[in-house]
Amino acid sequence: MSVVPDLLRKTVKKYPDRTAVVEGEKSVTYGTLYSMVEGFSSFLKSRGVGHGDRVAILLPNSIEYIVCFFGIARLGAISVPINAAYKEEEMNFYISDSSPRIVLTDETLKQLAEKTTANNSTRVFVIKGDKADWSYSNHYKSNDIDNSIEPNDEAIFLYSTGSTGKPKRVSRSHYNLVALADNHTQTVGWTEEDKILFTVPLQHTYALGNFISGIKVGTSLYVLGTFNRNKVIDLIEGESITVFPAVPFMLNVLAETYLKKPGDFSSLRLVISAGSPLSKEVFHKFHGKFGIYPRQLYGSTETGVISINLCEDIEDKSDSVGRPVKNVEVKIFLDNGSIADTNELGEIAVKSPSMADGYDGLPDETSKAFRGGYYFTGDLGLIDEDGYIKILGRKKQFINISGNKVNPREIENLIIRHSKVKEIAVFGVKDSEGNELVKAVIVPKKEMNMKEVFDFCQGRIADYKIPRIIEFRKSIPKSPTGKVLIESLQ
Amino acid sequence: MNEEIHVRIRNVLIDKIQSEIRPEDLKRDTPLIEFGVGVDSIATLELLVALESEFQITIDEDEVNQELLENIDCIAEYIIKRIEVST
Repeated sequence: MSVVPDLLRKTVKKYPDRTAVVEGEKSVTYGTLYSMVEGFSSFLKSRGVGHGDRVAILLPNSIEYIVCFFGIARLGAISVPINAAYKEEEMNFYISDSSPRIVLTDETLKQLAEKTTANNSTRVFVIKGDKADWSYSNHYKSNDIDNSIEPNDEAIFLYSTGSTGKPKRVSRSHYNLVALADNHTQTVGWTEEDKILFTVPLQHTYALGNFISGIKVGTSLYVLGTFNRNKVIDLIEGESITVFPAVPFMLNVLAETYLKKPGDFSSLRLVISAGSPLSKEVFHKFHGKFGIYPRQLYGSTETGVISINLCEDIEDKSDSVGRPVKNVEVKIFLDNGSIADTNELGEIAVKSPSMADGYDGLPDETSKAFRGGYYFTGDLGLIDEDGYIKILGRKKQFINISGNKVNPREIENLIIRHSKVKEIAVFGVKDSEGNELVKAVIVPKKEMNMKEVFDFCQGRIADYKIPRIIEFRKSIPKSPTGKVLIESLQ
Repeated sequence: MNEEIHVRIRNVLIDKIQSEIRPEDLKRDTPLIEFGVGVDSIATLELLVALESEFQITIDEDEVNQELLENIDCIAEYIIKRIEVST
């Protein structure tokens, strides 16, 4: 059975001279990437890292990030990717929770890494930049690395935001990650000719699934440290990018970006949208500019990729996250534990060889979400007559108004149609007597008042569904992938 | 031309980003940070996209920092340079 380093090793044997990673002016072949990984593993070992140790990666998307990920896996150590956009307080939590032996970072983030590790024995190494502690040219020695990694060994710690409380630690094994790459590649049909552009952070589960899948089949990975519209557009056109994983916000901004002259984006064959729902408006706007429809992908930190919409008649199914990827089973469960009929609403549950066993150190949370071999996502949805999954809300965010269940997504989808509404989030809040009420937070395009919202809703939805509390804001707080942070609005 | 550019920038700010600002509150040297401009990278990007569309220019977000977004005068100075480059 394979382990994570085998994904790279097998590709190197087949395509040693093909381009593996491109970062700006720098690029490395698979042969060079492999040598860098071997050398970096040796460097880590010389700094005391061994099997089962945690190693935090605090780096933007880069060649070095990929070297770190495979270098750590090569030793049987555990990667702890930390979003390079996090601030000190957030960093403190991740360092304290994961207790890494080492933090790997670059010169710009070194100070932050040192500050957050000052009170423990964690060491910080700069591995990117002119003053790096490691470089490919001066550390290459791989004969002292053992190969005793087992498929069930932990390979990576990821964190699930959840809707409330602190992030929950999710451990995924080598077996889980190899299965993730198998499931995804068998579904999307990538080949060594593909060029994938990564501007979504590699630390996130969404990009992780795509990047290890890309490595598995020998694609070329183009990495950008931050999302820059013009660089994305230039790369798609100039380098003939074929695959672009993105989040809806990026797709919207790209669709609205002014172009001096029409570009040639004909190389693109798969644009993936994940992280938050893709609106019809962005779906069509992006197609209008780039000539290709984005396709929704569904995944979670707990499971990896669940489904992707590869429907030929995409216009008809644009609101679906597609069918399950290979080897993944999706069922819709009703509250009474039975399985829902076609088109019947229930909770989406997933069974996948790439999913985690539970949340580390959180037995109660684990027993609620991981039951009978399934991970219960907390997402409400249905499977239609063609086997396509539609997500229609979050179970925890259903609002119970005197016994009437209200789906916040339904209210959002209605009010967003008002010409003055730019963004909206709907959720439940409790009054002083514990009764749930519908609250809407609205980001208006222009001046508007509550009466306009009431007038718009009346006659369109049942009276009990009309928001009782309406708040106007300048923005709605979101996670790095665009997920609305409801807890900070309540 | 300069005055016209200032007015158009003010309109973009009011219309696209800061709908609660009254035009009279937004003078050429009013610090935009007071209205949150430049604080949120997503909102900043949306502002740049709106300015690009308004002036038919391209803006590199890597060139944009808090100083450039300090007030309407600073944005106007940058826009004028970009228009010159484009023509």
